[in-house]
Formats: sequence, structure tokens, C-alpha cells
Amino acid sequence: MYNLRRFIIKHHVIILFILLEVISILLLARSQNFHRNWMVNTTNDVVGKVYEWGSEVGNYFRLNSANKQLAEENALLRKQLSVVYDTTTCVYDITQGDTLFEYIPAQVVNNSTNQVNNYIIINKGTKDGIRRDMSVISTEGIVGVVTDVSRHYASVMSLLHSKSVVGVRIKQSQELASLKWETNNYRYGTVEDIPTHIILQKGDTILTSSHSDIFPEDLMVGTVEEFYPTAVDALNRAKIRYSTDFSTLRHVYVIHDLHKAERDSLKIRQQ
Amino acid sequence: MNRTVVQIIRFVVLVLFQVLVINHIRLGGYVHPYIYLTFILLLPFSMPKWQLLVLGFAMGLSIDLFTGTPGLHAGATTLMAFCRPGIIKLVSGSLKFDNIQEPNLGQLDGMWFLRYVFCLVFIHHFALFFLESFSFRLIGQVLLRILLSVPVSVFLIMMILYIFKRDKKKE
Repeated sequence: MYNLRRFIIKHHVIILFILLEVISILLLARSQNFHRNWMVNTTNDVVGKVYEWGSEVGNYFRLNSANKQLAEENALLRKQLSVVYDTTTCVYDITQGDTLFEYIPAQVVNNSTNQVNNYIIINKGTKDGIRRDMSVISTEGIVGVVTDVSRHYASVMSLLHSKSVVGVRIKQSQELASLKWETNNYRYGTVEDIPTHIILQKGDTILTSSHSDIFPEDLMVGTVEEFYPTAVDALNRAKIRYSTDFSTLRHVYVIHDLHKAERDSLKIRQQ
Repeated sequence: MNRTVVQIIRFVVLVLFQVLVINHIRLGGYVHPYIYLTFILLLPFSMPKWQLLVLGFAMGLSIDLFTGTPGLHAGATTLMAFCRPGIIKLVSGSLKFDNIQEPNLGQLDGMWFLRYVFCLVFIHHFALFFLESFSFRLIGQVLLRILLSVPVSVFLIMMILYIFKRDKKKE
């Protein structure tokens, strides 16, 4: 016992060093999966507050472009609403269709694009009805998936994440493929597993597929920038440009899929 | 002002500056400067090694909370704090600091400081970017990140040290 104590006292620096490094590695290893650990959850509110405070300053400089973007979206929504607009009674009747999705507007309080695993923090949390695994979109295209929620804030795993995989569809040919991120440039992603007979041109549109568990169907993802055909029998790849500009992301919508629980329970019963 | 208070203020200001300003600067996909290391660089020479380690870990973990990467910065900064006494010996040679308590650009040779900052920032960035990719798969990309980020970090840290060196003398 005496020897042990002497050993610890003599080598306390190296022991402490190894201990702290082991703690770091364990924390890091646990954070590698989508749902991060208790530490991020418990501190999310404080971190969110600081970021919100910081982004309030920057927001003033972006009011102009934010206004423009929202006005454009308004115009688009009006156009879509005209389908259900009854000209005789001047009433918008949206009860005719079965509502599948609810959109919860939120603001980005922090966003990174230069890490290997990027997360976005938004200013809506459990009190606004945000839950894990809800999808997040902007007016330009898809953004990411909610991974952690605290009372007032939520963190969103952005498409710019080394583990991000999204089921996508090529608009022209309806073929399915999957979208990943190559971790170096926030403007471009990579579509993999494109069937060999499909040849893509620059500018072809990529949408979300109905097979994606996360995103609703037919949302804009991006456009093809470069097509890489492979020589032998392998599946093709393509570089795409995200339609969402992650560097200027401010206003987003969290999508509450009202039928998700129903679909999930069916899936469980099948197994 | 009390030395401990100065260090606490320095800690908070550097964390905020890092996460609210520096992390939002985009210089291509590969340049990620980290200036919060200034805190570890400026701790007193006489500080016990275990305190250096604990402070390094705390500093890294604070940054981790903001970037959502628990353990990443903590691991790299602890390693840097661990290497600090050795690096000081290495870059100083026969130089002695009998009357200097903290590393200070006003009292120490500029070249000495540059070597000191460069060595420790390099160790930190090397550990950080490898831990971040968590594999050796993207080794070319990781090396490029290290190669491009280290000079920018060193430059920014030297600027901060230069700007605040005069205030130190007045104390």
C-alpha cells in the first residue's frame, strides 16, 4: 500500500495525463454516433444562449437578404395556395387534403461548416414541439436532422457531417441513390450508388426519395456538378452542389411528420 | 489586479472570442485557426504540472461544449499542456527566467516566443486534426489541414500577444 502511494505521488503527473486523455477519448468515441451524450444535452441550453446572444449582433447585417428570401418564399406559397383558394367565397380551404406535415419555423443561432462533423443549433426546443429525428429544411433545400433537444434549443446534424447519409432520387430517371459528404467543402456533396446505366449531366436535379425515413419526398437537395463514371461494373458517383447555402443559413423549418409514428409502428410489426 | 482573476477573465474572453468570432471565419475548407491556446501559453512558468493538465483539459472541454465535439479539444489541449514544460526547456537551452513569472512578449525575446508558440501549436493541431478524423483514412486531408492551419494560428496568437504586451507592463 505504501509503495502504491509512493508510486502515485512520484508519477502523479503522468497518471493524471493518461487519465485525462482516456476521459477525452471515451467522450469522443461516444460522440461518434448520431445521438450525442449527456454532456452536450445538459449544457445545450447555456451554449444556445451564448450563441443566440452572439448571432443577434450578426443578424442586423443580414436583414436585407433575409427579407428578400422570405418575400420570395411568400410568393411561392401564395402560388401554391391558389390551388385551394376558393374564388367564390374568398376562403382558403386547406381542410380538404389530409395534412401530412407541420412546419415549425426556427432560427439558426449557431452553425459551423468547417469541421468534419458539423452541427447547427436552432432556437426552438421541446417546448415548441421539436423532437429527435425530425428533419430540418430551409427555403432552398434540405439542411439536416435533429439529434438533440433541450427545452429551448435543439442541435441539428447538418448534411455536412461525416456520418450523414440521405436517400435521394435523380429527378429525370427516378433512380435512387445515396448522398454523403466528403468533409472538405461545404458547397459540395457526393451522390453514390448510381446505377451503371444512368449517365448524369451537369445541372441535373437531385431530390429526396420517398425511401428516406427522415425527409419528406421531393425536396430539393442539389444539382449535379460533375459526373464520375466508373470503369468496370461498379456503381457511378457524382459530385453535387447543395441547393442550401450552409454558410448563410438563418431561417429554417423543422418538419413534424404526422404520420411517422404510424409508419414506424407498422415497420416494427413487420419484423 | 489579482493574477487569478486576470487568468479567469482571459479564459472566458478567449473562449468567447474563439467560438463567436474565429470559428465563423472561413478561409477555404482547410484553415482552422485556434487562438484559445493563448491561455495555456501564458500560464506562469512556476505552475505545477498537474494544474497545467487540469487547466488544459478544462479549456479544451469548454471549447468542445460549444462546437459539440466532447473530448476532441480536451484531448488535444491536455496533450499540449503536458508537453509545455518539456518544450520550454527545449526552446530555451541555457536561458534562465529567474525574474520572469509568466511568458510575456515584452520581457522575452521575440524569436524565443515564436519557437515556443510554434512547437506547442503544432503539437495541439497535430493531435486535434487526427482525433477529429478519428482514423488514418483521410491522412492527406488531415496533413493539409495541419500544414495550413498551424501558420495561421501561430500568426493570430503572436498578434494577440503583441497587442496585449504593453498592458502587461503597466500592471
